[in-house]
Amino acid sequence: MITNERRIPIIKIRDFLIVSIQVDMHDRLALQLQTQILEEIARTHARGVLIDISTLEMVDSFIGRVLSGMASMAAIMDAAVVIVGMQPAVAITLVELGLEMPGVETALNMELGMEMLEKRLESER
Amino acid sequence: MNSTTITNAKERIEHIEDILSSVAAGDLDLRIESEFEDDLTGVEQAINLLIDDLTHELKKSLKLKQEMEEKLMKIQEQQKTILQQQEDLMELSSPVSKVWENILILPVIGTLDSQRTQIMMENLLQKIVTTGCTTAILDITGVPTVDTQVANHLLKTVTAARLLGAECIVSGISPAIAQTIVHLGINLSNILTKATLQDAMIYALRKNEQLINGKVVLNQIDTDEPK
Repeated sequence: MITNERRIPIIKIRDFLIVSIQVDMHDRLALQLQTQILEEIARTHARGVLIDISTLEMVDSFIGRVLSGMASMAAIMDAAVVIVGMQPAVAITLVELGLEMPGVETALNMELGMEMLEKRLESER
Repeated sequence: MNSTTITNAKERIEHIEDILSSVAAGDLDLRIESEFEDDLTGVEQAINLLIDDLTHELKKSLKLKQEMEEKLMKIQEQQKTILQQQEDLMELSSPVSKVWENILILPVIGTLDSQRTQIMMENLLQKIVTTGCTTAILDITGVPTVDTQVANHLLKTVTAARLLGAECIVSGISPAIAQTIVHLGINLSNILTKATLQDAMIYALRKNEQLINGKVVLNQIDTDEPK
């Protein structure tokens, strides 16, 4: 399949999955990533997912919805999704589109996102 | 018969045509010259007079045009200055400063319009990213009134900051603004508001002390100041 050629790597570190999006997201890739991440959560029993979108210059309403949907889906599977490193322009676009992504956690950078997840995990233990 | 009264009719008419086409092309110094006195002379003189008039009018309008152009240049220059000053004012009017480890403050003074809030929003978000501060305080003590648009912009700013991963606190909402906001039916319950800048600051410091586990944020100031 062509879709498999440009897979976005999902790295597992301890209890977390790390996904760094470094290519332009198109709709099919976003949906594929969603499925991939959810499958990985189930396979590895990860407790949290960090999605780094700092290189994404543009996010449209579809990608925004996929990201926010992914957070809800992961939450049902008992994994928290933290979106990391959003660009100001992207944030403004999303807000203007009315996509305020309630329920999605965000962090300024990977380090803070990781800290956030660790704290959350600690409080659950 | 006409042919008897006009001498060299063909050549003279050709001469008139030549002159007229030169005049049409812009050469206004030419006049019809003729050594004959007959029926065509009147026409020739009339054409010469017309060319004179035309020359005069053209000179006048050129002068006017020049004056207008000069005035336009002046106005354009003034407009440029005004725009520049407006831009400067915009930048001056929304400074974002880092006041503590992890804390940014954006004091807003004066009346807010959509354009200014837009610039404020962009400045704040950019600064959040470049400094890596996770808490931002938007102090609107110095704002006399807000309207629906501005309130919405404030909401958007706070939401956008949250999307970046920073928390935005709004402080210093005056009674008048509180009244306006509620009357307009704007729901600010999703936004963390504090009474004064001081309260916001205390909240932010507390939050950050908790956030940076074990590291006491106040240490930074203690080491800088002699006791």
